[in-house]
Amino acid sequence: MLELFASFSPAFILIAAGVLAGFIPTSKSGSFISKVLMVGAPALALVCINVIYYGQTENTYLGGQLSFAGIELTTLRIDSLSIIWGYIFCFAGILNGIYGLHEKCKITDTSALIYTGAGVGAVFAGDLITLFMFWELLALSSVFIVWRGGPKSYPAGMRYLAMHILSGVLLLAGLVIYGRATGSYAFNNIGLDMPGGWLIFLAFGIKAGFPLLHNWIQDSYPRSSVTGTVILSVFTTKLAIYALARGFAGTEILIYIGAVMTVFPVFFAVLENDLRKVLSYSLNNQLGFMVVGIGIGSQLALNGVAAHMVSHILYKSLLFMSMGAVLHRVGTIKASELGGLFRSMPYTAVFCMIGAAAISAVPLFAGFVSKAMIITAVFENGHLVVYAMLLFASAGVLEHSGIKVPYFAFFAHDSGKRVKEAPWNMLTAMGITAFLCIYLAIPGTYGGMQYLYGLLPSEVAGAAKYNPYTDYHVIFQMQLIMAAVFAFALLKRIGFYPPERRAEILDFDWTYRRLGLSLLQWGNAMWSRLGAVIIYALRGMFGNISRRLYQVFSPAGALSYAAPSGIAAVLIAGMLAVTLFVVYFL
Amino acid sequence: MTDKQKSDQQNSRKQGSGKQNPVLSPLEIVERAEAHPAAVPFLWLGSKKTQRNFIYIPLVGMIVFSILGFFYPVSKPAPWDFGFSYTVIGFVGYSFVVLSAWPLFRLLSRPENYYGEDDSVEEGEDA
Repeated sequence: MLELFASFSPAFILIAAGVLAGFIPTSKSGSFISKVLMVGAPALALVCINVIYYGQTENTYLGGQLSFAGIELTTLRIDSLSIIWGYIFCFAGILNGIYGLHEKCKITDTSALIYTGAGVGAVFAGDLITLFMFWELLALSSVFIVWRGGPKSYPAGMRYLAMHILSGVLLLAGLVIYGRATGSYAFNNIGLDMPGGWLIFLAFGIKAGFPLLHNWIQDSYPRSSVTGTVILSVFTTKLAIYALARGFAGTEILIYIGAVMTVFPVFFAVLENDLRKVLSYSLNNQLGFMVVGIGIGSQLALNGVAAHMVSHILYKSLLFMSMGAVLHRVGTIKASELGGLFRSMPYTAVFCMIGAAAISAVPLFAGFVSKAMIITAVFENGHLVVYAMLLFASAGVLEHSGIKVPYFAFFAHDSGKRVKEAPWNMLTAMGITAFLCIYLAIPGTYGGMQYLYGLLPSEVAGAAKYNPYTDYHVIFQMQLIMAAVFAFALLKRIGFYPPERRAEILDFDWTYRRLGLSLLQWGNAMWSRLGAVIIYALRGMFGNISRRLYQVFSPAGALSYAAPSGIAAVLIAGMLAVTLFVVYFL
Repeated sequence: MTDKQKSDQQNSRKQGSGKQNPVLSPLEIVERAEAHPAAVPFLWLGSKKTQRNFIYIPLVGMIVFSILGFFYPVSKPAPWDFGFSYTVIGFVGYSFVVLSAWPLFRLLSRPENYYGEDDSVEEGEDA
């Protein structure tokens, strides 16, 4: 049995389930089978990963080898780095399945399973070609989830697809150059100095939401369906974090890229009125912490990246789930139109606040035990400016995800909206996720922190000995949180807190959605005008030439006149002179 | 205050002290009826008084943890660290982010249909 499971990537279980879900008829029993697949396939994949990895003695398991055009492919590599990603991806797949049980949509079911499978397949890819295959499948399967948001999501989906195709093309170009130069396509540490390294780095950077390449996240995620946004928030960006950790750990430029990523979304999030867009900016901000950790590259930092990835998937899913539940019941997610929903949706409000506490790194919540590792690693490596930026970003996180999202949705002024509580399946998914957000942060024998830390990639020095619950760490973190909450309460009280207003907030995507489009339209108009002018000029020129030729050669033309022989002799002598000049001098 | 109002108030106080059901205003009755059963004990969270007085919770918390910061200093301090440095970072950082929203909104906000892709229409599955 073990040999059967170990001979192929668990990703294929999910992909096969996705394909199967596409062929199941849309009857009541068909829908039931589809939902069983949605929850069962990720669960089976999770079991497979566990059986394969713990059923052997080596630290790294290699399997699913194929030979393709003379190149050896390793479709299954489970090691200390990839296993934690594999686990959480499958677990997130189960949660997404439960959350979407109410939704009867074949496209979402099929795409979600294939998307999950592509994510799992990519993190277990042992070589760059296998990674590329799953990388592209990830983009293609997820765009259908974006499009499930309805007609308004089509343009965003096209832009999403364009960015991910660009990422795929860069990865392909990079891996070809890299493979030819090194003679190996193995997916290990690549580094920027290697041929093709920058192309692969950029490909990963697009998916990771590097500054100026980030807009596809805020553009597409808030436009997907209620379930779709939750699914989308898990895989693509976290796969990119894995790819960067695998290929570019310790690359210094990532420290600065990540630091910028943590800070700039904070300013956009505070302006946004769409709460799912606020969370999308928040996602970018949290990815920044992970990118900084990868740039530091120490054992503690990489452990922090892996731990924060797990925490982040959980609390960000929880926040997206709660906002999805609000959208599902109320019909809008604009902060300006919400408020007072704790009266109607108390359980959702509690789950949302747990997610908010976790992302704000409140002690005894998941973010506290993971983010601290990255920040400590930054400090220990002497990057004080980056350290200060991360502290500032931590205060910013409190604003957009810790306070703004729960406050404007569930408290603030009473919008008068009275709706039903979220469906039972949504509450179940949120309940499990909320439980994990707390459980994974609890230290001691009965707490889950030991299990989280036990899964981290570096066992030596860092994770096992790292203790986030020191007295000064708890106290100083509480100082930060209390001061930020006090600032919020004070600014609200004196009327300095800006009201939520409906508006489109310009970001870097303005350059291609407006400026680029305008330039393209201007260029097109100029080209049309230039074409008309050129045609007019050519017509005039050819008209003149033909008229002159007619004047010279026609029966009534100059050459038909009876001319004196003296002129003819001069003409011939001139032609002879030109001929001689050409022959002798050119 | 009229005599009738005074007597109503006294009655309600008596009823309250006798641990009977408090006299609810019509608005409160409607609010309770409309609220989810699990939310009823927490409806006070939405009152003006609670919102007005909420500020004292973080204020007290901030003072307590700032004082504790002097007794439990950071083991490896940054050059700017002192007893309540994180209080300052949290307050200043948060306020800067929020206050920057005023000029940034003027600079970056456009009508909702600026890109010609109207996001103002949303569809929840129950809406």
